[in-house]
Amino acid sequence: MKNVDQSISLSMMADISWIPLIQSVVENAAPVYGLDRRKTMMLTIAVEEIVAHLAGVSPGTRIDFCLEPGGWHVLGKFSFKADPSDLWAMNLVTKTDIQEDMEHLGLLVASRAVDGFTLKFEGDTLYLTLRKDLDYPVITPETMVPAEIRGQLTIVREPEPELIKFACVKTLGCYLPDAVPQFFITPGKVVDMVEQKDLHLAVAVDETGTLAGMICWQAPSEKGISFFGPYVIAEDHGVGEFLTTHLINTVARTRAMGLFSDLATPDLSTNNFESLGHLNLIQKDGGKRQQDVWYRHLKEDMGASVWVHSSYAEFLKKVYEQQVLMRDLKSIEEQGEHVPQRSVFSVQLRPEAGNATLFPMVTGADAAQCITRHVEMLHREKFSNIFIRIDLAYGWQAAMGKVIMDNGFVPRLVLPYGGKSDILVFQHA
Amino acid sequence: MHNIDFTHLVPSYIQAFETYYPSKPDPELMRLYGVDHLHRLNNNENALGPPPEVTRVLETFAPMTVPVYPNGDCFDLRRSLAKRFNKDAEQFLVGNGSCEVIASVIKAFCEKGDNIITADKTFAVYEWVAEFSGFEARLIPLKDNAFDPQAMLDAMDRHTKILFVCNPNNPTGTYWDRQTMKAFLDAVDNRAMVVIDEAYCEYVENEDFPNGMTLVDEYSNVVVFRTFSKMYALASLRIGYLCAHGDIVDFIRRTHVVYSVNTLAQKAAVAALTNDGSFIRATRKMVTDAKALLCPFFDELGLNYKCGQGNYLMVKVPVSDTLMYRKLMKKGIMVRTMTDFRFPDWIRISLVQQPVMEEFCNAFADVLNESI
Repeated sequence: MKNVDQSISLSMMADISWIPLIQSVVENAAPVYGLDRRKTMMLTIAVEEIVAHLAGVSPGTRIDFCLEPGGWHVLGKFSFKADPSDLWAMNLVTKTDIQEDMEHLGLLVASRAVDGFTLKFEGDTLYLTLRKDLDYPVITPETMVPAEIRGQLTIVREPEPELIKFACVKTLGCYLPDAVPQFFITPGKVVDMVEQKDLHLAVAVDETGTLAGMICWQAPSEKGISFFGPYVIAEDHGVGEFLTTHLINTVARTRAMGLFSDLATPDLSTNNFESLGHLNLIQKDGGKRQQDVWYRHLKEDMGASVWVHSSYAEFLKKVYEQQVLMRDLKSIEEQGEHVPQRSVFSVQLRPEAGNATLFPMVTGADAAQCITRHVEMLHREKFSNIFIRIDLAYGWQAAMGKVIMDNGFVPRLVLPYGGKSDILVFQHA
Repeated sequence: MHNIDFTHLVPSYIQAFETYYPSKPDPELMRLYGVDHLHRLNNNENALGPPPEVTRVLETFAPMTVPVYPNGDCFDLRRSLAKRFNKDAEQFLVGNGSCEVIASVIKAFCEKGDNIITADKTFAVYEWVAEFSGFEARLIPLKDNAFDPQAMLDAMDRHTKILFVCNPNNPTGTYWDRQTMKAFLDAVDNRAMVVIDEAYCEYVENEDFPNGMTLVDEYSNVVVFRTFSKMYALASLRIGYLCAHGDIVDFIRRTHVVYSVNTLAQKAAVAALTNDGSFIRATRKMVTDAKALLCPFFDELGLNYKCGQGNYLMVKVPVSDTLMYRKLMKKGIMVRTMTDFRFPDWIRISLVQQPVMEEFCNAFADVLNESI
């Protein structure tokens, strides 16, 4: 059946008199999309605060708003014309500044009331998307004994929800929490993500229908696919290689240029992958481990051009030479041009692994201080592994190299085609 | 330009289809990879160049021919083909490469809800054209690296309109012998059209290889594809053709765009057919010599390879095929990665003259030494 568009759109002026209207839209539509009452209220508050903020800083500006169901989440999408640095209060670390600037308190509230947000510019228009996730029961992992495999392995085409949930439970029972994506602890969410095609997975069974393993993947960008696994939940009879080959064949004729591991397990057959390096991780118990990152081109590489700042140019050249990736490097340096006053970063947190990753949304004159405050706060909150990812397709992101490195980050690895172009990953040393 | 979203106007099967981007021109690739030469071993082109009769046509092609439209349905070439194969000119339809005639056949026979059947690891254009035209492509896994006739028959239903058989198969080089092919056609029993793509047939010397031109006389539902790109080395001119019963060709003609084949291509193809066979013999010898060099080379390295019919072979490499591609490109050699043929970590190599094959072997060995 073709999906019916259930989204609701409205256009309005940035004026507080329209707040009841947009409140009403979210309050009435979000429950239809599956959000419970408490989460609906949180999203309503966030949306209301955005409008109130815009009414204060850019009165009369046109706001386009769309509320969309996403299966496992609800999206509130805004587009408007405003000074991007005005959104600085959405940073995770705004708490200390905000006491002196009540005008921006609403944005702080909005950013804390949702489960994630993205912000991007196109021309002079800002696109702000708020995401609120549906509530799902969390399961408790139980240790599993690997099952015995009989006969040939096959991939289950379009696995039914019960099998997906079963596979999540089994996987959690066989692997440590930091080797498994966070959403596995809410198998119902995984089912909905698969239904929405926000997550793809392959489940392998033997001739008796016994579950042998699974692998899953996402497309964080048009050109890149990241995968988790393979997860072998039976005696290994080439299950990992079987799942990996299936993944490669499945994505080989897509528009993706490359496949890289987000969370690779030791069951990955790495012969035909290229090592991108590793991340040094500190575990919650204080122990140290290395997370290898593996990559595989899916196409014949026809080269690309990327922006590069002198601060990490040598690192990039070395990486590209080692990986035999043809890149035209376009140098970028600050020339004293005007930049927004304030920066905005979005942060992806994995508390169970102590990992935090920062993504620049707006780079302002305060970028260095903004990063410093993020790092201080994340350390206080016991996040031992802090990363910043920049997309080298964008000059403004590439130009951040110096302030990032001045803040104690080192360039760790490059994810080819991980974003619009290559992603450079910095890790806080 | 206004930023308007036209997605709602695009059919869902087009939205779901992945765009194919061909590789960049050689000079650009050479610049990127920092090499001063590039041996093209990626597209199964005939490195000998065209037959001498074609060279004469190219050298004497009159500039004042250019302002004039080509003959719309390749009148002279179809007559030459008819004479060559002892058939009627109306049994031939010429296209801008055989890719164009693939599209014409699918358009002629398929309507909403129909499907086509082919293999999962074969020339991808059958699958692509079906899918971006809104028809299901049923992809049958190869069996022992060859098309699986019984599985293809089992996959048929009343909506199956065309079965595509690539004989010999690109990229595995396997083929159905005469007995297998005839048993398959008997079992299809005119329930659907059977396209036999013989793009590489001129490279096959085995006695049991079925000649599609003969099968056209025996089976009303057979459509044979051939091309001037592979053996006759006219790839840049883009010219291929199909042959079938006159009534069948008449249906296909209705969907086929006329004037799509340019004058130079038509004249070159006519000239190619006049060669006395010496060109084909020389090409076959080049391919045989190349196989004689490469097969022992891969044996010595302990690598799994598939060397069947056609001017190509495949080898499984101990690194990813795409990394092997990049490393060979740095040495001025372009091969074909097989990941998108659903043969991850295999590369396909066109078989050409000895000096280039020797250069390939040296480069390949160097890459393996660097990688291991």
